[in-house]
Amino acid sequence: MRATGLRTMLGVHWRTHRSGTLVWILALIASMVGTAAAVAGLYTTPEKIHTYAAAVTTGSALVAINGRVEGIDSLGGVIQDESGFLMALLLPLLGISLVAKVTRREEEDGRLEAVLGGRVARYVPVLAGLIDASAAILVTALAFTLGITFCGVPAVRSALYAASLGGLAFVFAGLAALVAQITRHSRGVYAWSLLVLTVAYLLRGVGDVTKTWVTWLSPLGWAEKAAPFGAMRWWTLLIPLAVGGLLCAAAVLIAGRRDLGSSLVRGRPGSARASAWLRSPVGLATYIHSPAVLGWLAGALIIAGMMGALAKQFVGAVTGNPAMADAIGMSTAHPEDGFVAVTQLYIAIIAMGYAVQAVGSLRGEETAGRLEPRLSGTLSRMGWIAAHGLVIVTGLVIIVAVSSVVLAASTAWSMGTPLHLARVIGAGAAYLPAELLVGGLALALFGLWPRAFPAGWAVFAIVAFIAFLGPGLKLATWVLDLAPTTHIGNPPLGTVKALPLIVLSALAALLAATAAVGFRHRGVPRG
Amino acid sequence: MSTAQPVIRAERLTKTFGPVRALDGLDLEVAPGEVHGFLGPNGAGKSTTIRVVLGLIRASGGHVELFGGDPWRQAATLHERLAYVAGDVALWPGLTGGQCLDVLGATQGVLDETRRADLIDRFELDPTKRVRDYSKGNRQKVALIAALAADVELLVLDEPTSGLDPLMEQAFQEVVRTRREQGCSVLLSSHILGEVEALADRVSIIRRGKTVTTGTLAELRRHTRTHVHAVTVDEPAGLADAPGLTDWSSERLDGHIESRFSIDADHLDAVIGQLHHAQIHTLTVTPPSLDDLFLRTYDEEVPLHDVPGLEQPEEALR
Repeated sequence: MRATGLRTMLGVHWRTHRSGTLVWILALIASMVGTAAAVAGLYTTPEKIHTYAAAVTTGSALVAINGRVEGIDSLGGVIQDESGFLMALLLPLLGISLVAKVTRREEEDGRLEAVLGGRVARYVPVLAGLIDASAAILVTALAFTLGITFCGVPAVRSALYAASLGGLAFVFAGLAALVAQITRHSRGVYAWSLLVLTVAYLLRGVGDVTKTWVTWLSPLGWAEKAAPFGAMRWWTLLIPLAVGGLLCAAAVLIAGRRDLGSSLVRGRPGSARASAWLRSPVGLATYIHSPAVLGWLAGALIIAGMMGALAKQFVGAVTGNPAMADAIGMSTAHPEDGFVAVTQLYIAIIAMGYAVQAVGSLRGEETAGRLEPRLSGTLSRMGWIAAHGLVIVTGLVIIVAVSSVVLAASTAWSMGTPLHLARVIGAGAAYLPAELLVGGLALALFGLWPRAFPAGWAVFAIVAFIAFLGPGLKLATWVLDLAPTTHIGNPPLGTVKALPLIVLSALAALLAATAAVGFRHRGVPRG
Repeated sequence: MSTAQPVIRAERLTKTFGPVRALDGLDLEVAPGEVHGFLGPNGAGKSTTIRVVLGLIRASGGHVELFGGDPWRQAATLHERLAYVAGDVALWPGLTGGQCLDVLGATQGVLDETRRADLIDRFELDPTKRVRDYSKGNRQKVALIAALAADVELLVLDEPTSGLDPLMEQAFQEVVRTRREQGCSVLLSSHILGEVEALADRVSIIRRGKTVTTGTLAELRRHTRTHVHAVTVDEPAGLADAPGLTDWSSERLDGHIESRFSIDADHLDAVIGQLHHAQIHTLTVTPPSLDDLFLRTYDEEVPLHDVPGLEQPEEALR
């Protein structure tokens, strides 16, 4: 078969998606090489590396989160361990988003129809999307190799490490391409792919903790078993290549045979009338934001449940090993508190991501053209933004409260001790001002410079990076202070002071007010 | 009509988006109870004008009144009295058509329940289907039904029939006429002349953000030409240089004389007299359509190479 129009499609993708793709690649390279450089600067002697290795291999909790790194007693091993969680999330996301953007999203918006009306074979857009994604993954892997080698890791090992991560991204690109053929909407592509990623993460975690073959069931496990800083199993790269290749082939095959706009999953009829609740501004806002609330809540619950289930081993490891406690910044005096504090920080970052996404859906309403008819009725702009603000904040509180309860419950179950509900919830609630601040910043962008809204995600990424890796990498104090989470005081382990919470809350309120005023005075819709 | 306060009044409106001048001194007046056709090619500034009138965007200059109030300051209050159908109908894909209808209805104020049911029937809409499974025309119907069922004094319709088939367009015209008889004013933006011709009492034609001409259809037609196709037994005398006559052509056909020409309104009577003298066999007189008006209006405004087809936006010139 001749790939009619392949060159055209590649050109179209390059022109329409290059900036987004470049931002993705640069952000990935920055966080990987940044982590590597910080680790190299911190662990300068074999003794320091050895202390770190001893600390993180004791107990199962960190193994579950970051993976079981073979050859951890080396600079490369420390880098792999430190970036384990982040890379397990970001590389699959790279593959998923690059493919989803140019496949189901294009079809959903009707652009694919225009393309296929021209001299482009039916399967070519998918093929072109996979070629784009593979090229982006290749560039990322090359940059990883160079960057990590530059930090003092042997080039061969850096190359294998980067290749194993590239293979991981490739599997998920193929998966997204296949899912894009069998669901109707790009939201479905993300939902199903992320579900697979979650399962892969859990399988890898279970396999690593139990030291069984279960790890081999997970794409994340394949990357880990390449053991770039240990036994260097080059042949494991064949697994992601074969699986990813099969997924890609299936996607291309289905794309060539199915009808345009069709898929296996079809919508069912629904109610012919809207309830009084749905008709109210708050009701419609609830309808709009509930998928985001549920999605991020699910993510937070997985973290809270998993961490809680491992609480006993974690605490046991810490009480028996002061070095580990030191490595992750907690004291042996309150091992359980330290454990809750670590988990609450994860939940806080998840809640923050929800806040940014929820504000982003306001922008989505505007660009989709739904805001205009909404504001051409009796609802004032203040009324509209207030209803959405109320729903977004309620969703935030629900995410924090429910995952705190689950964390408290699973911890109590694992430890066999009574619930410390108020303590755990209090710690979660203490992070609310920081979450609101980032949400407020996103809202201010929406109100004043809606086109600059993606900057809200950049802020989120920076805050998440500092919060997750900043203390471990011993970044400068002023850098740590940039993240609002730093000022909360690491509850319940540390003490929460009122003043920072008040300042953060006041700033959040100020930003929200600015957003409302800006929104009141700008044109709608603004493209 | 002229003494009553206009429903919409815009004077010398300007609106700039960065370097682009979308409105450049536009005037528009809609009187109570009339259907006002708002015509112009794509990109002429119709939607921008409507958004200014609704207070969704603020004019850079000029004056605008909606029901005698300031739409930018009192948007929500003034909106109680109108319903709006946007040019690009966007709905919530996960809701059903019926749910969207109710949500839009709630946005606009009060929805007349009998009219809602009647319109769903009339437009043959399945309200239990999800919006994401609707065609473009069906999405358009949802927005139209929501607006037409609302109990309001003014309907603002921005290219409302762009996705409808001819049968539905017919239904749309009937409903708009009924609403007008009930006293509702309508601002109908369109580039489809037939629709405006069928509905509008008065028309404003705009181009490049400026009002080119405005008036009743009869007034506008006075300035345009009637097309005549006549078959006569004899050669009509002196037609070729009759005053007010252009585009004349004549040929002999089966022993008859076939003449075609166009004539302005003032000289129509005299020319028909001359045809009568030559013994009329068949006669077809086509009144000036808005198409003529449209093309003629643009002819005057722009150099010859620049005459836009109706579907051709100005961008085509670049």
